[in-house]
Amino acid sequence: MKNKVLMGLAAIAMVAFLSSCGKVPQEKIDATNAAITAAQTAEAAVYVPAAFAAVQDSMKAITAAVEVQKGKLFKKFGPISLKLDATLALAQKVASDAAAKKEEVKKEVETTMTAVKATIEENTALMKKAPRGKEGAAVLEAMKTDMAAIEASVAEAQALYDKGTFMDALNKVKAASEKATGINTELKDAIEKVKGKGKAVVAPAKPAVKAAAPAAKPAAKPAAKPAVKK
Amino acid sequence: MRKVWRGVLIFSALAVSISLIVLLLIRFTPKPPSGEMEHAREILSEAEKSKADTYSKKLYTEAKVFYDSAMVNWRKENKRFIYFRHYEKVRMFADLSAKKAILAMDNSISTLSDLKIKLKQKIESLRYLVSQLDDLFNTYPLTSEIRNRISKGKILFTESEIVYNKGQYFQANRKLTDAEYLLTESYEYASANLKDYFKSYSVWKRWVERTLTDSKKNRDYSIIIDKFSRKFFIYLGGTKKYEFEAELGKNWVGDKRTRGDMATPEGMYKITKKFDGGSTKYYKALLLDYPNEEDKARFRSEIERGSLPRTARIGGLIEIHGNGGKGVDWTEGCIALTDREMDVVFKIVKVGTPVTIIGSMVDLKEVVDK
Repeated sequence: MKNKVLMGLAAIAMVAFLSSCGKVPQEKIDATNAAITAAQTAEAAVYVPAAFAAVQDSMKAITAAVEVQKGKLFKKFGPISLKLDATLALAQKVASDAAAKKEEVKKEVETTMTAVKATIEENTALMKKAPRGKEGAAVLEAMKTDMAAIEASVAEAQALYDKGTFMDALNKVKAASEKATGINTELKDAIEKVKGKGKAVVAPAKPAVKAAAPAAKPAAKPAAKPAVKK
Repeated sequence: MRKVWRGVLIFSALAVSISLIVLLLIRFTPKPPSGEMEHAREILSEAEKSKADTYSKKLYTEAKVFYDSAMVNWRKENKRFIYFRHYEKVRMFADLSAKKAILAMDNSISTLSDLKIKLKQKIESLRYLVSQLDDLFNTYPLTSEIRNRISKGKILFTESEIVYNKGQYFQANRKLTDAEYLLTESYEYASANLKDYFKSYSVWKRWVERTLTDSKKNRDYSIIIDKFSRKFFIYLGGTKKYEFEAELGKNWVGDKRTRGDMATPEGMYKITKKFDGGSTKYYKALLLDYPNEEDKARFRSEIERGSLPRTARIGGLIEIHGNGGKGVDWTEGCIALTDREMDVVFKIVKVGTPVTIIGSMVDLKEVVDK
């Protein structure tokens, strides 16, 4: 009789063991979720969007798998636990990749910013040397307005950089750099052509019909005439 | 021995019964909606890859909300006793999520494709607009506000191209719209200004014809100044003899209206006086009979109409003078030549030589085509 009771108890214990052998790996879930939040804070969605989406998708799959196991009579969380380990590692990698990419973009903004500032300075100096033939000065005036707009754009990029939005800052400073370089090339070409031909570039060719030999220029300037109505 | 066999038999019967019970328990356990949920999740993931979160935000968000609702309900059901769980609601939400995600994905793909085409066209049309602005108005006297808008618009345009090439189409669209606004508005303003400038073309044409006919008839020198091309022509007996580059008033567009408006007048004038030596600060100068009777009548009519204030004064002392060659329109309304060119002009003209100042020798269409 005693044996029968013992056997019955053993059977019940076995059923109970089988039905409750799996426990939700909550600690690992929490750790992985925390790693995903950290990746989000590191702006992974901006700097490594595809990898970050993959991590989020993997976590979604795990969450669903947990519920699947919870719905079973005999739960088995072993494979989920392994998947959580992999996802946690991936989330951590994504966070560090995002930080590295952010740093890279930040450096690129800094480099481009330094370069564009140097180009602006160079352009200012080149403008003084640029030919002022027919319409040359007018073209330079237009260039000055463009340069002012470039400087304003650089200032906006700096503000974005200070706010930490490096990607937007990079787009802005790159556009400013492209424009400044364009002006730089134009100015250098104009100066170079003048050196080569002894003629202004921004200024088109002189008249077809040439003037007759001019009379000698007076040595001294005449006295200024009083202000006149115009 | 018999007792042992009996024990084994009882144990076996018990084990079989337990196994049967367990099998029955498993058989009647409600089936979790794992397949439906997996399908919904996969479609959502595909939709995200198709950038539905950006280009079909509303549908994608709805799909996500349905998925989250399915998860919430699933968790809720899983908390109940195993045989009391009902997953119909979970399945329904999962199904709705998948359907919405498919819609979001399709919508995103078509939106993205349309947007790409639209942006490409916008970029091309803005590129053309920028080239038109550069070709027609680079040296045209526009207000500093319009100049600033053009420069800002050009930078925004470059920025939008950079963003477009990175595949950030929404951002590119925003920037392009801003650039388009600045550039189109400036172009329209400048074009209207230019069109307005050319509205007197038929009058200018008549003046030129009269000047050339007179030059031919009198076999004498005549001067024609084309403000738009900044050309200074000298004709003898109706034939062009000299062509110089002229510099005009800072605000040369349009006819001169009042004193101090920095505009170069348009009309048929004559040289009334010649200055050289110490009598002019501009090397040599030829005074014109501006304002003539026509200018005075127009000025009076503008005052009467109220388009000019009663305090406005008519300008005067418009000259052709030296000190030019600066490469910019810098005078207060006069016409400046280089000193060398001034020597030539000064030598051949006399008091009474006709000087016709016109807006342009060619019409607007020809200017634009050029």
